[in-house]
Amino acid sequence: MAGTANPTAASFEAGAHDNGGASEIKLVSQRQRAWRTFRSNRTAVIGLGMVVAIVLVGVFAPLIAPYAPNEQSTINRLAQPSASHWLGRDDYGRDILSRVIYGTRVALLVGILSVLLGGVFGTAIGVIAGYFRGKLDTVLMRLVDILLSFPDLITGLLVMAVLGAGLPKLIIAIALTITPRFARIAYGPTLAIKEKEFVEAAKALGQNNRRILTRHILPNVSGELIVLASLWTASAIRLEASLSFIGLGVKPPTATWGQMIRDGVTYLTDHPWFSLAPGIALLITVFAFNLVGDGLRDVLDPRSRS
Amino acid sequence: MQERKIEELVREASRKGLSRRQLIQRAAVLGISAPALTVAMTKMAPAALAQDRPTLRIAQNAADLASLDPHYAAGTQDRALVDMVFNGLVRFKPGDSTQIEPDLATAVPEPSDQGGKQVWTFTLRDNVQVHKTGKSDAYTLTADDVVFSFKKAADENTSAYAGDYQGITVAKVDDKTVTFTLDNPLSPTLFLPKVANYSGGYVVPQKAYEALGADAFKTAPAGTGPFKFDSYTPQNSVALVANDDYFRGQPKLAGIDYRYIEESSSRESALLSGDIDVINGLPEGQWVDKMNKSDGVKADVFGVGEAIWLEINVTAKPFDDAKVRQAIALALSRENHVALFGAPVGETIYSVVPAQLMPGGLTEEQAKKAGVIYEQNIDQAKQLLAEAGVKDGFEIKLVTSQMDDYRRNYEVLQDELGKIGLKIDLQVVQHAAMHELIRKGTNPLVIYVAFRPTADTYLTQFFTTEGGNTNFAHYSAIDDAVAKARTTTDADEQAKLWQDANTQILKDYAAYPFLIKNLVYARSNKVDYGHELKSIVQLYPGIDETTSISS
Repeated sequence: MAGTANPTAASFEAGAHDNGGASEIKLVSQRQRAWRTFRSNRTAVIGLGMVVAIVLVGVFAPLIAPYAPNEQSTINRLAQPSASHWLGRDDYGRDILSRVIYGTRVALLVGILSVLLGGVFGTAIGVIAGYFRGKLDTVLMRLVDILLSFPDLITGLLVMAVLGAGLPKLIIAIALTITPRFARIAYGPTLAIKEKEFVEAAKALGQNNRRILTRHILPNVSGELIVLASLWTASAIRLEASLSFIGLGVKPPTATWGQMIRDGVTYLTDHPWFSLAPGIALLITVFAFNLVGDGLRDVLDPRSRS
Repeated sequence: MQERKIEELVREASRKGLSRRQLIQRAAVLGISAPALTVAMTKMAPAALAQDRPTLRIAQNAADLASLDPHYAAGTQDRALVDMVFNGLVRFKPGDSTQIEPDLATAVPEPSDQGGKQVWTFTLRDNVQVHKTGKSDAYTLTADDVVFSFKKAADENTSAYAGDYQGITVAKVDDKTVTFTLDNPLSPTLFLPKVANYSGGYVVPQKAYEALGADAFKTAPAGTGPFKFDSYTPQNSVALVANDDYFRGQPKLAGIDYRYIEESSSRESALLSGDIDVINGLPEGQWVDKMNKSDGVKADVFGVGEAIWLEINVTAKPFDDAKVRQAIALALSRENHVALFGAPVGETIYSVVPAQLMPGGLTEEQAKKAGVIYEQNIDQAKQLLAEAGVKDGFEIKLVTSQMDDYRRNYEVLQDELGKIGLKIDLQVVQHAAMHELIRKGTNPLVIYVAFRPTADTYLTQFFTTEGGNTNFAHYSAIDDAVAKARTTTDADEQAKLWQDANTQILKDYAAYPFLIKNLVYARSNKVDYGHELKSIVQLYPGIDETTSISS
């Protein structure tokens, strides 16, 4: 019966194959069509390749990094790049390249987990408010409006100031800045979809609210949310770097790009790689996620597609 | 009166780079005609004309001033300005704070015994002029001002240094004479810094202070020093002008343009481009080398350095076990911490009281002889932990300031203790928050960075019960020794008592001294401070009437 949930399952496409002069109708799933559209976008594929490479660097950091990231040698601090330390050493004598590589882990962890957390909560708020309306809608969406009125960094700062530094707290702080974005994006389509015939039909068939929300509403708002998630992963990584830059990020001695950029600023003229290397890593990662996000938008966002 | 107005006007014009036309316009506003201005200017001695003298431009590592009331000034940026505007009864010799010489007083007195109490009598110089302010005229400093100033310094409502003046009664004998009567006798080493050009020892003139009011005085002070306050632009700069009535003679500079530039690379660029003459530098050996290789620029490294040490709470578990504290001492390496700053900025110390800077500290030789050097020995440290029943180590939660001096040393400590299985969970907080938290006892291990002018202050504040919440070690074993040293008037005997106290602290593993971090300033080669730079308690190169800039 869920088949009434209209466009989500599969569609027929006129097959272009010439099969001995006989034309055939080929069943193409939406997923396949989406992948085909995505693949046709060269920059998006490059972005995806970059994201995969970055994830591999993060996962296999212990195998790739030439040194332990926290191994100090203050006597050799600020050593210039050499054959043994390609990007030189930082102000504690630690290998900069190894710290940049390990920094990938924190960036990805924060980027992915905070978006996951913020995405789940934000979507739940938006969908529930849009579906149930009434006072609940008013309260939830005004709360969302209040949160949206703060710039991301300010929200992150406020939360970190209350919670204190540390990786889990950093993820929560960034998730909180993301939550209202997802809520707002999920809210609008929910308002429209709940009025559709297939939702009315589901109600008429006696389906409960939970089933309607999870089986009929959510699948139809998920496209935009996936696009948002990919774009916000990049923003979350950037926000993590910003919070670390101002000293509110992960606890020392964990290697994070933001903290490395901050520490290296003092030595920018004489030891540029100290700041530049994590800066470039950050740039590439944010760029890669943005490319993927743009590609996904082309595939999943109906307005963009039209 | 009009001549004085013209003189001030001409100096202002020079300092602000006014054209002759603008100068005449300003004179007209003050009711001075152009011919009268010209006549007066030709009568003025050439040296008095500001055109002959350059203005020194200094960039300080701060966002803004905090307080220019000398009895509240605590930050380096405030101490430096205050030192140019005020005097003490005696002063630390410019460039060498190990020596004391007369300042507002005609001589450095010897104490006398009057009715069983120690009395110090100071005779004031003649014709010391208090700066003119917008609300008070210039006048001759008298004993009333000195009495007022030291009463202000001793009042906790008007001074941050009130504690230093308890048990001291200051009284006027006549207009030129004041006495200080002490409840408990002090050696010259301990008494003279209290009346010198440092903290509560600066003399705040009564009439100027009362005319301006306490709040205004914090941003527009008036004293008797070689430079007078002129203007303050919040978060930007303070301008001082030469005090040509200064009792040591006319300054060689027209004034001081004191700018607040927090970012180190901006200060460096300003110096290298010639926009600034003197900057507060990076406390790093590499930076010093780099500056000294730059054309037309010289970096100066000098004392007084701030001592950096580790304090261990001897009452907190498991640090109440001496073996655990000994293990920590053996896990540490002074060289690791000194290397954070590099030579000559970082210098090793062997007691919390730095022997390089004051009597009462332990030299390397003395520490070796006393067996309190504690060279790094990881195996022995692990063995001691095993004997103490914590073979597998444990986790310690610590907070550190975001400031580099603290954070870096804590991170090196984290690395060092990690090697013997002690895991430090380090939280970085705002500087003020760290100070608040460590005073509440958050950290069983405290790294502290501080300069104090005497061994007594170091020991009392950080290692005796009297120190209260800054006795981070919760240590009491040297209470009696420090009290005894304080009232010992024989300098050698006093120094010996302080050395014994330092040795005891180290034998009990209540502290581990790392280094002193010297001061680093860089200047244009054209700047001559007028004295050598050895050690300066005011934490800047010392700028006075002898400082000059060659053309």
